[in-house]
Amino acid sequence: MRRILLVLFIVATVSTAAFAETITTTVNGMVCAFCATGIEKTFRKQPEVATVHVDLPKKVVTITTKPGKTLSDAKIKEVVTYSGYTMGTITRMK
Amino acid sequence: MKTFNQLPYYLILASLVLGGAAKTAQAKPLSYVGGTMVMQENDETGHTLSIDYTFDPHFALGLYSKYEINQKEFWMVGPEINTLIKRWNLPDGQGNIFSMTGVGTARQGGNTQLAAWAYFLADYETRRWFFSYEPRFTYAGNIEKSFWQRGYAGFAPYLANYDQLNTWFLIRLDHHPAKNEHFVVTPVIRFFYKTIWLEAGYSSNNHVMVNWTVQF
Repeated sequence: MRRILLVLFIVATVSTAAFAETITTTVNGMVCAFCATGIEKTFRKQPEVATVHVDLPKKVVTITTKPGKTLSDAKIKEVVTYSGYTMGTITRMK
Repeated sequence: MKTFNQLPYYLILASLVLGGAAKTAQAKPLSYVGGTMVMQENDETGHTLSIDYTFDPHFALGLYSKYEINQKEFWMVGPEINTLIKRWNLPDGQGNIFSMTGVGTARQGGNTQLAAWAYFLADYETRRWFFSYEPRFTYAGNIEKSFWQRGYAGFAPYLANYDQLNTWFLIRLDHHPAKNEHFVVTPVIRFFYKTIWLEAGYSSNNHVMVNWTVQF
């Protein structure tokens, strides 16, 4: 029984770690495409980030992390602030 | 009381305090950290070329050059520093106050003078509306001493997404208190796509205006 639980634990851990995470954040102040470039480029420089998508009408940035990687809320806030904007609400999906 | 001849030293001091050099424009004078911006303007006041590197969310350093043609011709060049003094990030809009100041030289024929300039830009934009106001102070010894101001107001006829061509219709009003034509009005059409920005217009004093900016 212990072995089964151990195997299940390892499988669960490995599979969780192998998944990429999709994070969306609303951004206050992001009103033009010219301005949004800074956010896109700054997120792309993060080693954990695989893709970045900007939805200007909704003022939302969607980040997909590399498998097994994540970005903390604090890091996302730091990137958005460093780009000159204010972070809104964060939503995460594995 | 300060004489006008002492003005350059106060402008230099203001430049050092505020950051800054000259620039133009309604593309914002800062890009993202690590970004380089090349901006070129051709309008009824002259021809401008500037290159700026943004090294901090609030500061960009660069080189500014302008060939002035508004009544008297002279060339001005120097390093500039652009400063984001204040930004308001709102859910549906953004407001900014920038300063753009610099110190360099001005040349008119064989006459070379110390030059200093301080421009300020206040803007507010939403996805639909854009407004800006920009007072400019220039000192170039016995070549030029001027204050003039510029305002833009405009709207986007459609709301484009990030990876689509954005189009704006604007009216630009320049006020030159020391020139023969105090007021110059220019209807402007502006396009931008991601990091490329272009605007064109034709002024009330019959000058073609073409400005462009590229970030990389």
